[in-house]
Amino acid sequence: MSNFKKLIIEPLRKTNPVTVLVLGICSCLAVTAQLKPALVMGASVTVVTALSNLIISLLRKGIPSRIRIIVQLVVVATLVILIDQFLKAFAYDVSKQLSVYVGLIITNCIIMGRLEAFALSHGPWESFLDGLGNGLGYSLILVIVAFFRELFGSGTLLGYQVFPQSFYEAGYQNNGLMILPPMALIIVGVIIWIQRTRNPEMQENNQK
Amino acid sequence: MKKDINSNGYIFLYATVLVVIVAALLTAAALWLQPFQERNEKNEKRINILRAAGIPDVNKDNAAKLFEQHCTASFLLDKNGNAVEDGTLPLFVIDRRISVIPMKGNGLWGPISGYLAIDADSSTIMGANFDHKSETPGLGGEITTEKFQSQFSGKRIMENGRLVPIEVDAITGATKTSNGVKEMIDNTLEAYAPFFEKLKP
Repeated sequence: MSNFKKLIIEPLRKTNPVTVLVLGICSCLAVTAQLKPALVMGASVTVVTALSNLIISLLRKGIPSRIRIIVQLVVVATLVILIDQFLKAFAYDVSKQLSVYVGLIITNCIIMGRLEAFALSHGPWESFLDGLGNGLGYSLILVIVAFFRELFGSGTLLGYQVFPQSFYEAGYQNNGLMILPPMALIIVGVIIWIQRTRNPEMQENNQK
Repeated sequence: MKKDINSNGYIFLYATVLVVIVAALLTAAALWLQPFQERNEKNEKRINILRAAGIPDVNKDNAAKLFEQHCTASFLLDKNGNAVEDGTLPLFVIDRRISVIPMKGNGLWGPISGYLAIDADSSTIMGANFDHKSETPGLGGEITTEKFQSQFSGKRIMENGRLVPIEVDAITGATKTSNGVKEMIDNTLEAYAPFFEKLKP
C-alpha cells in the first residue's frame, strides 16, 4: 500500500516530471492557452504513459538494449495512433480536440523518460502505477498553468466568461501576453520557485 | 538454453517480429474502425452545412434527420457555373433558397476549411463556419468560435453584379490565420462566381 501511494503521489509533488525533472516543457507551452485542451492533453498523456510503461515493462527482459529506444518509440507511437483511431470512431468530438496534440504526445519526453528510467527496471504493476502517477503530475501542472493563462488571457474558464462585462467597461483589459507561449514558461518558473521555497531540501546547494 | 539478447541475429529477429506485429495491429484497427470513422466524418459535414445555413439546434444525433429535411438539392458545378456530372465544385441547397459551399484554405500551421451559406439573392452571406487542423488554441484556433464566425452574417459578396473582396475582422495575435480565412473565402467565391452571376436576374 505504501508503495502504491508512493508511486502515485510522489510524482505529483517531489518528483514532479515538469517542475522537478523539467520534462515535457514544450507541450506545456503549446496546450495551456486554454483549460480545455490542457485537460484533454493531460488525460491522454496519462493514459499513454501508464500503458506504455506497462507494455515496455512486460517486454523488458527481451528487448535488446542496443535498439531499446527504437522499440520504445514504436510502442508509444502505435499506442497513440491506436487511441486516436478509437477516439475518431467512437468519440469524434474528443478526437477533434486531440488532433493537434497527437504528435506532441508521441514526442513527449516524460513518456520516454519514464520508460528509460523506470519501466526497463521494474515490474509491470509498479511501472503502470509510475506511469499513472507521472501522467497525473504532468496534468496537474498543465491545469494550473492553463487556469492562470485562460483566466487572465481571455477572462474565461473552460470557455465561460468569468469577469463580468462591467469590468471591461470600467477599463479592464485581458492580458495578451498570457496567451503567448513565453507566459507558460514564466508560470512554470513561478511554480518551481514556490515549490522550492516550501521544500528547502529540494534546493541543490542545501544538499552539499 | 539462454539466448544472447544482444547478438545481431536476435536484434534483427526482434525488430522484424515487432514491426510485423505492429503493422498487423494497426492495419486491423484501421480496417475495423474505418466505417465508424467515415460515418462520423459524414455526420460532421452535415452538421457544419446545417449550422452555416443557420438551422438552429443541430447536434450529432439529429443531424442526419435534419439534413434529410432541409437539404433540398445538391449538385456539382464545373468552372463555368453549370451543374454537371463530373463537376469539381460541390453545392448544397438548403430550404430551396440558401446555397452552402465548402471552402478549403491554409492557416498558419496547416489546412483550414469551412462552409459558407449564401442567400437566395446570391449577394449576401447568411452564415459561415470554420474548422482547422492545427492552429494554436486561443489564437488561430479562435476561428471556430461563434464570436468570430458570426461577423460574416449579412456581409455582401456582390455589388452591382460583381464580386467584392470580403472584409475580415482579424483575431489579435492570429494575423496569419485571419488572412488565411479571408483568402480562403475570396478564392472560393471567385471559383463559384460564374454560378452566382447566373442566378442573378
